[in-house]
Amino acid sequence: MTQDQETQQVIAANFSAGATPVAGEDPGMSRILRRETHSSRAGASVIAAILVIVLCGYALLEAGVRAIGQPPWLIDPTTAAERIIALPNGISPLLLGASGAVVAMAGLFFLLHAVLPGRRARHLLRDPRTAVVVDDEVLASALARRARTAANVTQEQVMVVVSRQLVVVNVRPTSGSRVSEEAVLTAVQAELEQMSPVPMPAVRVNLATSGVIGA
Amino acid sequence: MNGTPRALNRILLFIIGVKLLAVGLLLVLLATVPAVASWWHGWSASAWAGAENAFRQTHLPGREESWLWIVAGIVLVAIIIAMIAWLSQQGKGRANLLVASDDDSAVDGEVRIGGGVAEQALRAALSERTDLAGASVATLEVKGQPGLRIRIQPRQGVAPHVLAAEVSQLVEALDLVIGQKTPVLVHMVSGARARFTKAERVR
Repeated sequence: MTQDQETQQVIAANFSAGATPVAGEDPGMSRILRRETHSSRAGASVIAAILVIVLCGYALLEAGVRAIGQPPWLIDPTTAAERIIALPNGISPLLLGASGAVVAMAGLFFLLHAVLPGRRARHLLRDPRTAVVVDDEVLASALARRARTAANVTQEQVMVVVSRQLVVVNVRPTSGSRVSEEAVLTAVQAELEQMSPVPMPAVRVNLATSGVIGA
Repeated sequence: MNGTPRALNRILLFIIGVKLLAVGLLLVLLATVPAVASWWHGWSASAWAGAENAFRQTHLPGREESWLWIVAGIVLVAIIIAMIAWLSQQGKGRANLLVASDDDSAVDGEVRIGGGVAEQALRAALSERTDLAGASVATLEVKGQPGLRIRIQPRQGVAPHVLAAEVSQLVEALDLVIGQKTPVLVHMVSGARARFTKAERVR
């Protein structure tokens, strides 16, 4: 499924539900939202481009030096080619294998950046006028605040992890006082329904078996 | 929201990734499998012999160097220029004007409103808020149309939907001032500043 189809499905599901649109009033915003929720791969592209520029620059230097008949800077292209042909000889197999593994890893890094969908940890919010994109950490801190008040514990005892389809609320209760899992779950779910992020994640609450002393 | 060429990025990253992966795997196989080494000797030696033959036939008149080196240099320069062009495409798409249109009056001329009007008005309105650790507004061009990107950094625990509704009211007020509806993207980010400053306790 391509990114386009995916976003269109989300937006279609939205209209059928009769809720306020995700992308404000502007239908052209769906493209912007798709671009905001997926990585542009600008970082990997910059690294790759600089790598190619450095390699080509060095090759250019040696080729230029050779073309005007000057002595080579580091290695003469002919000598380099002969060494490459002789390859498993002339270098320790361990070093050759290790450098090969490093190059293959770099290749895999770029390849995975190109092939994977590159979804960012972000959710959309419904708003009648503007298109709203929220980092998952912002959602998590708002939900953590709600869970903290519901469980009546301090900030450090609650940890919320938001992923695309799931919100996990970890609560470490204060030793000696009971925390109701039901109350935390309903509070977080109510807050999440008010936010109504797209896609809507499910909620899971984990109560730690050991309590915190003196909190 | 910027004009980074995403399809191009993916295609070029795929090509570069596949090549690096192939070279790396070849090196690993050369180091470990003897059969690959013997194949490599035969193949690369014949390829290099062909290249040397080509070099011998393409002497510069009056000199012993081949003009193929110059051709190689030109190709490399072309690749470097293409890479620099690719780099310069990353993150482009800033716009200067928010509105550029002819009004209906009898007077000739065009009405232009710079992006700075909206940027400064929104930034001033957002900087007064205590529940934000930071805000920035940029005008960007989306498919030839100007659009606004509002990037805000809420403090810990601020409810995003409430904040979105309030920012949306600000944008509606701006619509009235400018007299035109611009596409607006509100992006709530989390950063080190939001994480380490005090949480918003009282609202």
